[in-house]
Amino acid sequence: MANKTKTTVTRRDFLKTSALAGCGAIVATHFDFARDLIARVEAGELTQAEAYELLKAENTLYSVCLNCNTGCGIKVKILDGVAVKIDGNPYNPFCLHPHLEMKETPANAVKVDAGLCPKGQAGHQGAYDPYRVTRVLKRAGKRGENKWIAIPFNQAIEEIAGGGKLFANVPGEEARQVTGLKELYALTDSKAFEEMGKDAAALRKKKPEERQAAIEEFKAKHAANLGVLIDPDHPDFGPKNNQFVYFWGRKKAGRSNFAAAFTGAFGTNNTHGHTTVCQGSLYFACKAMSEQYEGNSFKGGQKFYWQADQENSEYILFVGANLFDGNYGPTNRAMRMTQRMVDGQLKMTVLDPRFTKLAAKAQRWVPVLPGTDAAFALGMTRWILENKKYDANFLACCNKAAATAIKELTWSNGAWLVKVDKDGKPGKFLRAQEIGLKAAEKRTDKDGKEFDFEYLVASKDGKPVAFDPNDDKEAVSGELFVNTVLKDAEGKEIKVKSGLQVMLETATEKTIAEYAALCGTDAATIEAVAKEFTSHGKKACVDVHRGPAQHTNGFYNIASFMNLNLLIGNFDWKGGMIAASTFNVDGTSTSTDKQPFNFKKIGPKGMKPFGTSIIRHDIKYEESTLFKGKESYPAKRNWWPLSSDVYEEILPSIADGYPYQAKIVFSYMGAPTYSLPAGHTQIKALLDLEKLPLYIASDIVIGPTSMYADYIIPDLHFLERWEFQGSHPNMPVRIQPVRQPVIASPNEVVTVFGQEQPISYETFWLALAEKLGFKGFGTNGFGEGQDFTRPDDFYIRMVANIALDRKESVADATQEEIDLFLKSRRHLPKNVFDAERWQKIAGSAWPKVVTVLNRGGRFDSQGATYKGDQVANKYGKQINLYQEKTAGCKDAFTGKSYYGLARYVPVADTLGNEPVKLSEGFPLHLITQRDVRHTKARTITMPYLTDLMPENSIILHTSDAKKLGVKTGDQVQVLSATNPEGIWDLGNGNKKPMIGKVQVTETIRPGVVTFTLGHGHWDSGAVDVTIDGKLVKGDKKRAGGVHANAAMWVDPHLKNTCMIDKVGGSVSFYDTKVKLVKV
Amino acid sequence: MQNEDILVVMQKDLERALAKPEKNRRWAMLIDLRKCVGCHACTVGCVSENKLPPKMYYRPVHEYEQGKYPKVSRTFLPRPCMQCDKPPCVAACPVKGKDGATWKETAGLNAGVVMINYAQCIGCGACVPACPYDARTMDEGHFHGEGTPAIQKYETMASYEYGKQWPRSGKNLPVGTARKCHFCVHRLAVGQLPTCITTCIGRSGYFGDENDPQSLIAQVKKANKIQVLKPGKKTEPRVYYVATEKLEVLYGK
Repeated sequence: MANKTKTTVTRRDFLKTSALAGCGAIVATHFDFARDLIARVEAGELTQAEAYELLKAENTLYSVCLNCNTGCGIKVKILDGVAVKIDGNPYNPFCLHPHLEMKETPANAVKVDAGLCPKGQAGHQGAYDPYRVTRVLKRAGKRGENKWIAIPFNQAIEEIAGGGKLFANVPGEEARQVTGLKELYALTDSKAFEEMGKDAAALRKKKPEERQAAIEEFKAKHAANLGVLIDPDHPDFGPKNNQFVYFWGRKKAGRSNFAAAFTGAFGTNNTHGHTTVCQGSLYFACKAMSEQYEGNSFKGGQKFYWQADQENSEYILFVGANLFDGNYGPTNRAMRMTQRMVDGQLKMTVLDPRFTKLAAKAQRWVPVLPGTDAAFALGMTRWILENKKYDANFLACCNKAAATAIKELTWSNGAWLVKVDKDGKPGKFLRAQEIGLKAAEKRTDKDGKEFDFEYLVASKDGKPVAFDPNDDKEAVSGELFVNTVLKDAEGKEIKVKSGLQVMLETATEKTIAEYAALCGTDAATIEAVAKEFTSHGKKACVDVHRGPAQHTNGFYNIASFMNLNLLIGNFDWKGGMIAASTFNVDGTSTSTDKQPFNFKKIGPKGMKPFGTSIIRHDIKYEESTLFKGKESYPAKRNWWPLSSDVYEEILPSIADGYPYQAKIVFSYMGAPTYSLPAGHTQIKALLDLEKLPLYIASDIVIGPTSMYADYIIPDLHFLERWEFQGSHPNMPVRIQPVRQPVIASPNEVVTVFGQEQPISYETFWLALAEKLGFKGFGTNGFGEGQDFTRPDDFYIRMVANIALDRKESVADATQEEIDLFLKSRRHLPKNVFDAERWQKIAGSAWPKVVTVLNRGGRFDSQGATYKGDQVANKYGKQINLYQEKTAGCKDAFTGKSYYGLARYVPVADTLGNEPVKLSEGFPLHLITQRDVRHTKARTITMPYLTDLMPENSIILHTSDAKKLGVKTGDQVQVLSATNPEGIWDLGNGNKKPMIGKVQVTETIRPGVVTFTLGHGHWDSGAVDVTIDGKLVKGDKKRAGGVHANAAMWVDPHLKNTCMIDKVGGSVSFYDTKVKLVKV
Repeated sequence: MQNEDILVVMQKDLERALAKPEKNRRWAMLIDLRKCVGCHACTVGCVSENKLPPKMYYRPVHEYEQGKYPKVSRTFLPRPCMQCDKPPCVAACPVKGKDGATWKETAGLNAGVVMINYAQCIGCGACVPACPYDARTMDEGHFHGEGTPAIQKYETMASYEYGKQWPRSGKNLPVGTARKCHFCVHRLAVGQLPTCITTCIGRSGYFGDENDPQSLIAQVKKANKIQVLKPGKKTEPRVYYVATEKLEVLYGK
């Protein structure tokens, strides 16, 4: 038996022992492998240190988790090619604070396992999911019937490209002709794209009554090419190429560039992300706040948002932000906050209907009524303005020079004068030439194009003053509260108010007590919070997330809270509101010219896609050829001048054929049927063969949405592939985490462009590019002797760009590090890792590429993160308190203008009706929440997580449970007015009732009921499927719990979509009223 | 702002302790519940590190709520093995003596840890109810992949408990034995902190030689009022808690 005290054996003993152990040769099964090891252990052959193989640099690879979108750095421990343990990456500031510097050697770094949440710890279970799809699956039955056959990859490419009677074996589809991708590649000439695109765009600017004539002009000019258009009578729909619709769920940089290379070459403008299911209105409200004044209008708004610099803040008001269960993310934010909270250096107030883990650590919990958040913000605004607790000096700054003079990095437009119409409605900013103060002038932009510059106006010492907001030399400050009448050149009166005056009038429309009543609290609370918020200089923040965003009034909720940050001018300050910063991947960095690969130059030459997208984003309804005048209201569906990536619009717009038909849909790592509210409407859209003739999905399992596909193209798990994760707003360090292959993939190996590679998302794009003969792909794709035939051709170049971004590049790897780099990848097959090949691609940048890959990314040092009292990675621009661009947009249903200044707006459907009828008989207010142990669609496959949390619960207050006569553990079904049966209709007669177990608690506002997302699956191994005629039994453990999204309201006008925020795009997650029925 | 993450500080404390003669060392763990955010990373990290089978948790995190809306509180309580100086499990175990199945180690690297020798454990289960903390569980030989098309390789690969390799296959040890938290002695041996400590996102966990006044754990213990679980059982735990709540009320006497 095992000898406890013996710690080593001699070589002779070893040989003797292994012969006696009688294992014979190692056989390629799990159990034989284990037997051999037992023999060695019993021989006492291994020392303690040798025994712990997980502490070896050569067995460690660094990458980036993707079990949620935080994307923490991970340190993956690999034995015999198997990922056996995952911990946090100490080089990555998401996991260690302060993190190890890049100059720290991997030999030292291996000793430090850094922080990581439970999902990250379970990451490898997703890669080793027995239900993974490793070959292309084609449906053998009806959509969603879960009858599949595995087919050769090349056959899939043929069929998808060529079309035809692809489903002749399916009863009912014998004669159904499917359009292939080649046929949709109708417009192929880049010059024609530009010409027609320009002329189609010109149609937008025409008045509705002039449009018909303009269309005839267009048709005459482009007579030869009319056949490529979707509809010649609507040239603004664009070419047939747009009928290829590509959408994605969780996709980051690198993969997004890869896809764009194909879709750009193909010429479709229908490439849409999922932003509005997450916190779209947060992004687009902040985008509206970041629009810059360029010439005579607002442009260049960034799709992003700010969060608190939590390691320095003294006070944070968190609104609907669930930091210790979700947000971005528990790992990085908690470690920066907990000690400071304990030491009394960080105080918090949490606005949330639930007493979250974050609320449990806060000094004050305010259980607001869902959807009424803006009322709280407006109440605070009123108190701050009336008590003059704002930063007057900051708010007075009208331009960059004024800000710089008082050491501010940002400035607002609060003191700018806004024109007010006869009804008192604020519109555009006053231009100096309108009152004869200063004439507009001609200027040239950085590309040499001429444009008209119009000066803006503020009031100083009672007199109007003209200014340029981007002027960095002549400082202009203005009075904060202006309400006056000026005269134009003809002597006509122009009423003007400063932005802050509009804000004051908005805020004083109600008393603080009235605001409090609206949001379910009291005036004293609002006042106390406002007082606390304004008592910490710039080290106070309002940090908001999905809570206020995912309502029909999300945009205004968010803007009204963000405006509070403007009132104290905390942007770019230590402890204030900060934004993310990254190292550039595509070689277009403006901070250096040393990046070796500019993808704008070497990448495939894309077309200039044009036309209205299928979700009608970045365009006003009034600019469309579908708009004839006032009689065109209400539009059939919403138009989105301020938002993009409107996830809930994609499939339902296709189902409505509005504004036009789609022919082929391809989805990547997306699950709209599961993640969206009223997801059953998304299922219905997918089942429509006529409206959606061909649907292909890229997925690693048969998921909640990909199960409805015609073809599933298997993908790599995040441990098997590349990507650049980017950063999040609360991270002050400049970073670029690199996701790289750390294990081999189980996927079938195929040949594309003559290269053997496992089937993946990238392989699919490459194969289609090969099939369609796109330039810029394949041999010499990037240039002479520069092939683009496999994923690493793309990604190694990007790693080189990352390594050489900024003034200082990363250090060259030492020989020791290069040796380690090679040794630690010894288990990867050549079709995943080929050192010679990678070195050739990287060229002279190779030693720097090794440095970055040896650390799982590039991370600036903690020391470089702050400059005095401000952040080094600043936002550094204007922030809009009053939004002119927003005020210039109209509601596509009512024709009314959006509000330029955020205000309280009640929850309403698309026609503007408050959901009174929908609420009758449904007394409970449904919201959702995240649990840190699960994400939505993907973590149910991970047994460590599902074993720990096998099911979720319907969580409600004691008083509501009493009314219902239920106690913890009882089963209830969730019903709503738009889902009175309380079921998921999964198609093909398959129905899944929304039944979950009750959890009674005191930690939620009475009247509100919630559940955590991630359970109630009907997919991903939860149910039986048939592949190649064989039954693959599901694991019932994956079907546990409830997913109540199907109870969320369907909009009564749209009929096939959930309720939406018409301005910001967010879906309504938290507005539905439900009832619970005991089962 | 601190100059080093406490994980780095404690790593150095550990290396310093390992360089010292062992007889003055006293391994201890301290959990500051004010910093625990109830994420269960320690639970899952430990499961992964030690290749625990389904439903076995060396370190569960208990969640409590108190009070009436809106004056409520929530407490999160990670519960590793207490490594008691007076362990009731050792008293209950029938396989006693020098080559026993479970004992409080007094010498060497593992001094202070209540050890289990899987080879000597007869699987009687007497230790399980003897522990006032429910820290010990019998390994029934299950796999996480049961009920799926195939058990995956990572599950069968070795854990490194007690400095040995334990691949998981069929009825091989430690199937059939009692198992519990062991302060990750296999990691201490190579100068690494226990997994529950390193993966903690709230940095609530402290570990080290509490006899070293320079160590972080000694300093935190000195600076705060300390509680232990079930003080009435007089087990003299090596795991200390800092909490604003009275743990006797939440967890029992």
